Amino acid sequence: MKQYFLYFKWLFAITALLGLIYAGTLTLHSAARAGERENTECLTSERVFDYGNVLSDKEENKLRELIAKREKQTGCDIVIVTLNESLKEYARDREPDVSYEEFVRVYAEEFYDENKFGYDKPIGDGVLLVDNWFREDNGKIYTWLCTVGKADEKYGSALVDHLLDNVYRYVEKNPYKAYKTYVNEVYHDMTGTGEITAFLPYWLPFVLSVVIALIFIAVHWSYKKGKKTTLATTYVSGGEPGMNRKEDTLINKVVTKRHIERSSESGGGIGSGGSSGGGGHHGGGGHSR
Amino acid sequence: MLFRCKNCGGNTVFSPSVGKMYCPHCDGIDSEEKEDKGTQTECVNCGAPLTIGEYNSTCQCEYCGSYIILNERVDGKYRPDLVLPFKIDKKSVVDMLRAEFKKRIFTPESFLSEATLKDMKGIYVPFWMYDYAARYEYEGKGTKVRVWTTGDTEYTETSYYRIERDMNVDFDKIPVDASIAMQNDVMDLMEPYDYQQLEGFAEKYMSGFFGEIYNEDSDTLEDRARTKANKDMEDLLQGTISGYTTVVPENKNVTMNKKGVHYTLLPVWHYLYKYKDKDYDFYVNGQTGKIIGSTPVSKAKVLSYGATVFVFAWMALSFIIGILEVI
Repeated sequence: MKQYFLYFKWLFAITALLGLIYAGTLTLHSAARAGERENTECLTSERVFDYGNVLSDKEENKLRELIAKREKQTGCDIVIVTLNESLKEYARDREPDVSYEEFVRVYAEEFYDENKFGYDKPIGDGVLLVDNWFREDNGKIYTWLCTVGKADEKYGSALVDHLLDNVYRYVEKNPYKAYKTYVNEVYHDMTGTGEITAFLPYWLPFVLSVVIALIFIAVHWSYKKGKKTTLATTYVSGGEPGMNRKEDTLINKVVTKRHIERSSESGGGIGSGGSSGGGGHHGGGGHSR
Repeated sequence: MLFRCKNCGGNTVFSPSVGKMYCPHCDGIDSEEKEDKGTQTECVNCGAPLTIGEYNSTCQCEYCGSYIILNERVDGKYRPDLVLPFKIDKKSVVDMLRAEFKKRIFTPESFLSEATLKDMKGIYVPFWMYDYAARYEYEGKGTKVRVWTTGDTEYTETSYYRIERDMNVDFDKIPVDASIAMQNDVMDLMEPYDYQQLEGFAEKYMSGFFGEIYNEDSDTLEDRARTKANKDMEDLLQGTISGYTTVVPENKNVTMNKKGVHYTLLPVWHYLYKYKDKDYDFYVNGQTGKIIGSTPVSKAKVLSYGATVFVFAWMALSFIIGILEVI
């Protein structure tokens, strides 16, 4: 046992130190949160509107919990709406010339305004994601991120694209994960955190530590006999070979070109300038799949 | 042949720590006198019959304990060209072994306390050492690939190179053990020896130690030296080729001329431990102290140490990611 503790003292110490730093940063971070919600006119306390029925009840509840936490940290209302219906008539009724990409925008903005979402005031700080699973008659599915207030200031078209790209990464296989990503991305974007870890998969520490442990065992197992300590130059007089010739001649060079197919169409340009309706200023952007 | 102390008549032996002949009976230094009498089958000191193994060049009298060097096995075709005298003595080896067992963390803790030393002896192991003048001519084709993106277009540039190498390598004393009793892989791991300390052969270095004559001649064993040389040459050549994405050899031409062979004795300590009814052999380079030999592995230790590393690595990594998450 003594040998064990002696051997691992550094590992124990470093891990403990990291744990302390982690606890410290957590405490600091939870202290730094946005103020209390001041919007009293909002018509609903619901944030997850699964009209498209793509989430289970359990998943909806988990999202609600996460959103409640993230709203306090970001000072933004965070809303998710899933649909499974054509918005063509709905949108064209209100804006006759609106394009397919923006049906979801019209819906999102109206939904936001009708419910008077906003953390600081009615139609105030917040984000709303509309994911319409219905294929419009042009065969596409549209998604819109509506941003209002300080979220609108924060979200330029590049950041909207980035967020929607991350949502689309999972949405077909695992909608819950996609929407969870949306909520967490909003949190990271609004608080400027997690930029480094955004793309690390959750299983990384587990897999990495399995690999580390296996390497540790393999290395020490190999010590059980002895190590090879000779080099290729050990028996070479002078310690190095005499080079009579060492030539690397360029014969030719070939350049090939390939067009890169972008995985999702960029809708960031659309509507990112925002539009005025119902008294609030909305920003955001959309994607389609 | 036997080395007798001029002062007290005891059997003097070569002392690695002093580097001189030493009489354990009267502490005399360099007091030896070569004594050459009797037959090869009887002890020079007491006349008792000697038990001599097929390849032994020295033996210890079972009755009086004297170290006898067998004249005809250090003479004529069996006279070694070179010898590397022992530099490390018995006591230091025991300490070194204990330190090594501790370092090998999967060794059961009871091995240190319970293992009993059954046998220890210093052996001059016969080696053939080969010198070669070698030349490696090489031609190959290499590619370097560079990829970059401009806008929506990805460019891939492949450059084709002709690689030409021609190198001379002078190999000096590639060692191959000429003892059947010694395992080849163990003797290979024992390398390297520092050749600066090689000396011309003298019988006195063998007093107090065991020794063997070469079991097989230099022609029979040369293949092993050539294999080693070829491998080293390939490594050396590969070391001169770098920066390529792919390399395809097209023409390889190796010539190797044997320049010399040296019959050499190299010092090896052999320690035999017994632990839980099993024998464990350890070989220690008598010059550098490098230790070769398998220690038992405690499964419990592998599991507990491995699990500890896993759990703590997991925790540490999770903490790191947790910290990165909020900054």
